[in-house]
Amino acid sequence: MSLSWNEFPFIALPAALCWLAAGLLACRRAQSPRFGYMADALAIIGIALFSAFIIAFWNALSRPPLRTMGETRLWYALFMILAGYVIYRRWNYPWLLLLSAIAATAFTVVNLLKPEIHSIALMPALQSFFFIPHVIIYIIAYALFGVATLAAGALLVRRRKSSDDHDLLAFTDNLVYIGFGFLVLGLLLGAIWAKEAWGHYWSWDPKETLAFITGAAYLVYIHLRHQSRKDNLVIWTLLAAFLLLLLCWFGTALLPGSSLHLYS
Amino acid sequence: MTRKLWQFPWGYPEAALLVTGIALVGFLLQLTVGHFDFGLLHYPANLIALAVLIGLIALGTRFQNNQIVRWIAGIPLSIALTVALLFLGLYMELTPQLPRLPSQSPDLASRLGFRMVTSSWPFVLLYTMTLIALGLTTLKRLLRFSRRDITFLCNHLGLWIFLASAGFGAADMMRVVMHVDIGETEWRVFNKAGKALELPIAITLNRFTMEEYPPNLTIIDREATPSAQPEKKHKPANAKDFFQIDPKRPKGRIGDWEITLDEYLHTAVFVNGEYHLNPMPESTPAAKITARNLLTGKTKTGWISAGGNISEFFSALPLDDRHLLTMTQAEPKRYASNITVIPKDGIAFNTILEVNKPVSIGGWMIYQYGYETELGKMSHWSEMELVYDPWLLPVRIGMGLMAIGALLLAWNGASRRRVAK
Ligand code: HEM
Repeated sequence: MSLSWNEFPFIALPAALCWLAAGLLACRRAQSPRFGYMADALAIIGIALFSAFIIAFWNALSRPPLRTMGETRLWYALFMILAGYVIYRRWNYPWLLLLSAIAATAFTVVNLLKPEIHSIALMPALQSFFFIPHVIIYIIAYALFGVATLAAGALLVRRRKSSDDHDLLAFTDNLVYIGFGFLVLGLLLGAIWAKEAWGHYWSWDPKETLAFITGAAYLVYIHLRHQSRKDNLVIWTLLAAFLLLLLCWFGTALLPGSSLHLYS
Repeated sequence: MTRKLWQFPWGYPEAALLVTGIALVGFLLQLTVGHFDFGLLHYPANLIALAVLIGLIALGTRFQNNQIVRWIAGIPLSIALTVALLFLGLYMELTPQLPRLPSQSPDLASRLGFRMVTSSWPFVLLYTMTLIALGLTTLKRLLRFSRRDITFLCNHLGLWIFLASAGFGAADMMRVVMHVDIGETEWRVFNKAGKALELPIAITLNRFTMEEYPPNLTIIDREATPSAQPEKKHKPANAKDFFQIDPKRPKGRIGDWEITLDEYLHTAVFVNGEYHLNPMPESTPAAKITARNLLTGKTKTGWISAGGNISEFFSALPLDDRHLLTMTQAEPKRYASNITVIPKDGIAFNTILEVNKPVSIGGWMIYQYGYETELGKMSHWSEMELVYDPWLLPVRIGMGLMAIGALLLAWNGASRRRVAK
């Protein structure tokens, strides 16, 4: 079968509704186990519907749909919800399923509302299979670090008031470990892709340096925690790491200088 | 009882001091002898240096119970080193780095190596110390291998192999750009001074092909200043100034004009006053457009073309006294060189080289690099970048181990973290 953008809304909207409903139901799972099953079913149906569209669309184009901005948005949405669902199943973080459902829906809605991006061309170097997982995996790593930062902030506040909260610290550790795993995967995919496209796997390009700095900061946290330190210094390390992430993120956008990652 | 500085067991203060000391020595070296010369690390010097480093690390594991060895392989030093490298990275991120050394009177920042951090002595020394510390940590665990340490080993051994081969292999890497005219065979590359270097690979360029995206339409205001013309502006920011030709969406709008695409020829030639479909290389996109002014209701119809490389093919549609509807130059969608690769000692083969699809042959990777941009698909030549990197295999092994380590880290989370004794 083959499908085109004309059929897209009829598949994308139901799929997005499935994702959002799955995310909401997952968050309500504590009330009744049935909500949990429904969340699973809806997430899988949504993912299957959306994948079916991509396959049929690919079939119609007789090339991988990777050439235009609209086409890459399809993959963003799919990878986002897939990763969100896998992490939800593995770690029982329903909020993550909801967050990724919202992000995937946002990508889809942009595709629905701005059909002109369906024909905006990508430069040839971006037409790579490594490109989309590279971007999505980074987004997920940064999102996990973001939540870890919130948890660290909550820890500081709670410590002022009462005693320690072991569960919250363990939760923070877990988020940082998973986030770090994703960060390294994103880096490696970027390196493989850069080697394919430009001939070097690492060139200290500003975004690569940013990933290095972020990675180093979270490594400090991981290694500090390895000694079972729980003092506030550890928490502050985490806050500082996220601050660095933000600083470099916005700093790179504002600073002059050329980057592989600035495309026109 | 509190421990005095330099009293065993060492911890964070000693680690901070060692790292500061290394950095200071680095800055002194930088001021006196200038940048670290990676040329010193050409094969076989790099192999020897690496062997010495591994020997040192192996020697270290013979004295596992020595307090200093334990400290080098411990958390405090690893954190101090990470923090120091983090600061250098931060500096690189926030100040522009130079690709080459400045020739005239350098300022203090350049003399301290801050304009080219990655080849400055402090960076090189801290990198080496990290290799020693990380190597010792890893080898210690490797020697008393336990399956529980798999994640640790993949991450640390992978990182060590990656850092070691990227660092020690940097000098052996060679990147050159070869320029080949269509129909010619080339085996030389020229440096800036025009000096030729002969490569063990020759390349014949059989054909250069390019596919283009359908172009955009835009309106030029003859009375506006040249810099305000839409084509001079950044495109995505002003998408409203453009109409993207797409036969599947023939209607659109630019400003007060409603645009309808009546007919589109992706490869047209202009003969006898008309555009005809013709796949010849000189062809250019052409479109028949109807434009209706939404304010006055006036309609204009006509053929438009950016003309490609032949000025006679150009045509624009005057909308009124002031405004002209024109077509932008088509942008490349895909370009490729049909080449024959002839290794000095080996069998020649034909292949198609395009962006993101390099060809690998005996330690060399060949990339599509450039073409004559003004001529686009009519380019008379193509440039290939040839990259020689004999250390690519260990780099890949290191990256592979790190990938496994990262997956295990993400899958296991902190749940199976070993709590230090
Ligand atoms: C990709 C980078 C890295 C990751 C993901 C990572 C992760 C980890 C983890 C998860 C642990 C505790 C795991 C366990 O004990 O089983 C650990 C321990 C450790 N790491 Fe790393 N690390 C990285 C880089 C480094 C670097 C660059 C150094 C040193 C310069 C280092 C030195 C150490 C040391 C000394 C330990 C403690 C080992 C022990 O107690 O036996 N790590 N690391």
